[in-house]
Amino acid sequence: MKQYFLNIWETIISLSTGFGITWVHMLNIKKGNVTLQYPEEKWPRPERNIGFNHDDYNVIRSRLTVDMDDCIGCLKCMRACPVDCISIETVKAETRGEDIKDIGHVGITSSGSKKAMVVTRFDIDMTECCYCNLCTYPCPEDCIFMTGGPNADRHPIDYEFSEYDRTDLIYRFAKKGSKEKMEAQMFPKKEKAEA
Amino acid sequence: MGIIHGEEMVLNIGPQHPSTHGVLRLKVRTDGEVVSDIYPVIGYLHRCFEKHCENVTYEQVIPYTDRCDYVASMNNNLGYAITVEELMGIEVPEKVEYIRIIMAEFNRIASHLLALGTYGLDVGAFTPFLYMFRDRERILDMFELICGARLLYNYIWVGGVSHDLPKGFVETAYGFLDYFEPQVKEYNNLLTYNKIFIERTADVGVMPPDVAISYGVTGPNLRGSGVKWDIRKDEPYSIYNKFDFEVPVGKGELGTVGDCWDRYWVRMREIEESVKILRQALKALPKGGDVHQAIPKKIRPPKGSIYKRTESPRGDLAYYITSDGTPKPYRLKMRSPAFTSISVLNEISRGWMLSDVIAILGSLDIVLGEIDR
Repeated sequence: MKQYFLNIWETIISLSTGFGITWVHMLNIKKGNVTLQYPEEKWPRPERNIGFNHDDYNVIRSRLTVDMDDCIGCLKCMRACPVDCISIETVKAETRGEDIKDIGHVGITSSGSKKAMVVTRFDIDMTECCYCNLCTYPCPEDCIFMTGGPNADRHPIDYEFSEYDRTDLIYRFAKKGSKEKMEAQMFPKKEKAEA
Repeated sequence: MGIIHGEEMVLNIGPQHPSTHGVLRLKVRTDGEVVSDIYPVIGYLHRCFEKHCENVTYEQVIPYTDRCDYVASMNNNLGYAITVEELMGIEVPEKVEYIRIIMAEFNRIASHLLALGTYGLDVGAFTPFLYMFRDRERILDMFELICGARLLYNYIWVGGVSHDLPKGFVETAYGFLDYFEPQVKEYNNLLTYNKIFIERTADVGVMPPDVAISYGVTGPNLRGSGVKWDIRKDEPYSIYNKFDFEVPVGKGELGTVGDCWDRYWVRMREIEESVKILRQALKALPKGGDVHQAIPKKIRPPKGSIYKRTESPRGDLAYYITSDGTPKPYRLKMRSPAFTSISVLNEISRGWMLSDVIAILGSLDIVLGEIDR
């Protein structure tokens, strides 16, 4: 009998303790608001990752981007990728470090190295990407990176890149028409013979 | 009057069920409402972790270890990195060791907060879940500050860490700890000492120490049964022997030793111990030093094999690596603590009501990503 009333008493006590805590939180609702009404409000983008030096590191995990003018086609990012979502094809350029105007190929990178390769295909399948950031470290020209971070002025951070079609998430960075052009250059006689 | 046996019925729980903490299916044989047998069906999340590791290089394994125990990725990274380092004989700088400990302990807090919050959810307390997730969010924000990712970090590498600590991180961490320590008291008042919660968990699902040991259960589940076994203390790895902390064990304050409440309480007190370790580590953190100093150019361990275990939030996490001198592991085995925890479920939930099974399952704190691998 005593235990019965003791149980009731303990339940009332613990319930009122719980309600007390939740009431305090409810009264502090303006101060302690932790959620955002997402599509209308968003976290302020620069402040989200601020508080440390951006110059040294690329510490953003978002969409992968490639600056094709800087890419020398060394395939290091392709080899580093654990899920093989990067596929690159290259063709040897006729003259090292020379621009090819027709396809917009730039011969010299922004850091001054002469390109020996013309990248005819540079596809990143973002549906497969696991955002591990391993591809960005070995790049000798720092041309593959996640948007934002040290390159935020050129490529602002972008978390929201959903698409209606899955194929739209395969990003094709190579210059348009470069593959056809380079193949025509490489195998001109063969095509004539076929014709 | 003896127990009347009725007709038995097989009840299916899951795989899509919020109380099974992932894609776990339970085939429960019930007699009325009393459970007589449980058969967990696992493998819905199987993705050939071990076989896959044989086909990628040593550094490429780290993103996959993230995805095993996705609630405590840092601890998984740490275990793997330590194993490969020992195989290669790499000495990492002191600063890296401290950063690793800080990350592992922060992730332990985050993992335990998730475990305790969802456990409250399982037995019907919704508010503590929201509060704990709010605080876990702050830890994840800190991780985002450090490595850009919030859940799957790929932060701890073989021989170092991917980034140095950002400016102002130590202050942020201290700020979080100062904010967080009073919160533990609030959780205790809200959930731990709640009469309804105690009624649901105390004396329920008792796991005696001999059963726990014979099934190979480790971590907070084993310590909940009163066995003082913590690899951080008993077989120190990294620099855990430098820190002063307690190993909380279940004492059966409100019921029998090894009941659900004990396992819950061990986790709650481990959070406090982690805070203790964090304060010591942040205080002793060396200022200068390059975190990339010891990272090898090519990870190519010599021929041989190694078995190394670490204490993850769920228990004894071990990696067995056999190397044949190539850049890819010849064999990689992962001993996952959650897998052994789920195996004891049948033993300890026999004879309990169906609603208690949910409470017992929640108290074991399983992560299906690690069970299935």
